Amino acid sequence: MFTFKKRIAALVSAMAITALALSGCAGAGPDSDESSAESTQGTGTLTIGTIVASTTFAANNAPWSNESPYLQAVYDTLLHAEPDGTVVPWLATDWSYNDDMTVLTLNLRDDVTFTDGTKFDASAAAQNLLRFRDGTSPQKGYLATLADAKAVDATTLELTLNSPNPSLLSFLTQNPGLQQSPATFDAADEKTNPVGSGPYILDTKATVVGSAYVFTKNPDYWAPESQHYAKVVMNVYTTPTAVLNALKGGQINGAPVSDSAMIAQLEPAGLTVQTQQLNFFGLLLFDRDGAIEPALADVRVRQAINYAFDRKALLESVGQGNGKVTSSIFSPDSSGYVKDLDDFYSYDPEKAEELLAEAGYAAGDITLKMPTSSGFAPATYALVKQYLSDVGINVEEVGVTPTSFLSDLLAAKYASTVMMLKTAPTSWETVTLDLLPSSGWNPFRVKDATVAELAATIQSGTEEEAEAAAKELNEYIVEQAWFAPWYRPDLNYATDAKTSVEPQSGNSYPYLWNFVPKQ
Amino acid sequence: MLSFIARRVASGIVLVIAISVIAFALLYAGGGDIARRMLGEDASPETVAQKATELGLDQPLTQQFLTWASGLIRGDLGTSWFTSQPVSDAILSRLSVTLSLVFGAIVVVAFASVILGTLAATRRGWIDTAVQVLSLLATAIPAFLVALGLVLVFAVNLGWFKPTGYVQFTDSPAGWLSSITLPITALALGGIAGVTQQIRGSMIDSLRGDYVRTLRSRGLNAPSVLFQHVLRNAAGPGLAVLGVQFVGLIGGAVIIEQIFAIPGMGQVAVTATSQGDIPLVMGLVVVTAILVVILNLLVDLAQGWLNPKVRLS
Repeated sequence: MFTFKKRIAALVSAMAITALALSGCAGAGPDSDESSAESTQGTGTLTIGTIVASTTFAANNAPWSNESPYLQAVYDTLLHAEPDGTVVPWLATDWSYNDDMTVLTLNLRDDVTFTDGTKFDASAAAQNLLRFRDGTSPQKGYLATLADAKAVDATTLELTLNSPNPSLLSFLTQNPGLQQSPATFDAADEKTNPVGSGPYILDTKATVVGSAYVFTKNPDYWAPESQHYAKVVMNVYTTPTAVLNALKGGQINGAPVSDSAMIAQLEPAGLTVQTQQLNFFGLLLFDRDGAIEPALADVRVRQAINYAFDRKALLESVGQGNGKVTSSIFSPDSSGYVKDLDDFYSYDPEKAEELLAEAGYAAGDITLKMPTSSGFAPATYALVKQYLSDVGINVEEVGVTPTSFLSDLLAAKYASTVMMLKTAPTSWETVTLDLLPSSGWNPFRVKDATVAELAATIQSGTEEEAEAAAKELNEYIVEQAWFAPWYRPDLNYATDAKTSVEPQSGNSYPYLWNFVPKQ
Repeated sequence: MLSFIARRVASGIVLVIAISVIAFALLYAGGGDIARRMLGEDASPETVAQKATELGLDQPLTQQFLTWASGLIRGDLGTSWFTSQPVSDAILSRLSVTLSLVFGAIVVVAFASVILGTLAATRRGWIDTAVQVLSLLATAIPAFLVALGLVLVFAVNLGWFKPTGYVQFTDSPAGWLSSITLPITALALGGIAGVTQQIRGSMIDSLRGDYVRTLRSRGLNAPSVLFQHVLRNAAGPGLAVLGVQFVGLIGGAVIIEQIFAIPGMGQVAVTATSQGDIPLVMGLVVVTAILVVILNLLVDLAQGWLNPKVRLS
């Protein structure tokens, strides 16, 4: 018979043993002892922080941006993009268009093999492209004009388009260009066990899905010079504080820092922070034809709204001073960027009132119904209300749950809203995302003859004609006040003293091969 | 005893079913357009509709629940919409992490509470006052603040422990200890305060009891009276509080796992819930409910084991 003391001791011991045993059964976590980048190229471990888990490794459904590091580790793309966005050869060594830019012919490498032993060839590439077009990737629209993809021979791939796509080469450097082994198409585990021809192989045993992804070097990689590390670990952090602690504690070599207020703590700790601007923040004025808010059909009202905001003050108060004020939605990386447009609308409430009066509206005549989401700081909405109220425009706020905010906006339920959208790296992408009647961010399907004409030139004109048209379109959209942007917020990426990296134009994460251990 | 266990198991099953139905309804009520959120702002309406069909979201709600429930009966909890991982794999790999965190915390709570509660009840005076004040402070300061303070001081500044992440015990016992010490400390502090007070109070009551006076008058030495009789009587209420604390600690682990980026159930629960990953959330709900039912049953059995009077009642 146990004594009471022995029983207590036995109970506690059992609990402790169970805890130890259970901890031993857990999935693998990152070992920080290995997390530092070593100086010898191709031998160390790169550990980076990410802010989302991989939703899928199935190439046909894969997203990009925040998930690009996962996909770049295991898959090759047909083309590569330099940090400044310049398209360079990769699996495709060279390419050419026909005269009307509806047929793209690419010559492919003949020395590439997927990690399951399947040979990469033009047939595999064609299958991947068509499968992406028909899949459910958020960016599947990038290949919407792809009529057909066929292998002319083992190393010649021919893409036929319904209409020219000036951004196609750029798109082939991203998820549309991912090459998965056709032998694994529709495999039961293709979403979690990728088979590509990329520089690394996912170590599924060491990976804790949703938390830490471990990749080991592909020993048979055809381009070993781009394998700067022997092992790559990607840790998912769901809070900015965890990212900060991991960076300061030396557990990761690099990570995006979403909260600019944290930068002040990183630089004294020996970390380097690089910034780029990939989004614009401000008001979207959807209802340019006045379908549900008639006043917005008058360009003077839309211009008045633009003059009503003190962009510099908004950047300081809402954006904590980290960014660049602008009146345009075009990216500085795109051909349509016009620097002078950044300052096109000054803060001029008197002019705003004059424009409203010219349009026939007295103070209080216009009430804009705007959705509010917890995704943006409440102070932002208070400022919008204040600035517009100062020129005589009322704002009626409608609380919307974050889970339906996006859907409501895209379903044309509101004439205007506070929103952050990406500034696309190419002008054609800006056109297709935001400006055409078919664009997702033109939910009221507004048609405009000038926009259509300039868009056609951007799509089918020569490079010079397209660039001139893009600039003209940018100026037109700003003058017509289709939007009321305030500023382009800084996106920050921090790296430790052992790692150097170049930010990638148009992408929130540096591309994987841009990470190099410092010598 | 067997009928007692059978009744508890039956009521547990009813509880799990009720919780599942409510959770499913609530998730859909606040779910919004999940396919849109999955695909983001760039996806066309056609792609969103295609994704919704792929996920079965175009089916009536009752049909979706029945599909999920029939899978559950077959032992198939489905696949996470946001990580593509089978839900059962996701939970199994994370359950062990959370349980090691919670078990670790409960061991610390049990040890520290018995020591502090006994000291406070037997010595009284300044020790008692100090224990009371410290308990009050530990109760008043939220666990996440304690966690943030611990990370800043002992991990980031002093570098003694890992600020984030989790290392398997089998990979590196030292690494495991380094990764789990601060989270367990942060998680256990509030529990220590509660259980210490319970043990202290129960022991003071027991020490005033007639049977203690009788035992002492029979010449039993003080340690025997204290540990074999007084502590044994005080252990019942303490264990009951410890059981409640265990459930509370599972909740507390949600915050702690977020702060320390520990790949446990709490972390995945927060992410899955905010994303609207219904298969994963439902799996977590069911497993947690079963865990709590089993735990309550074990606490009842342990109380009976420690104190025969409970068995009689």
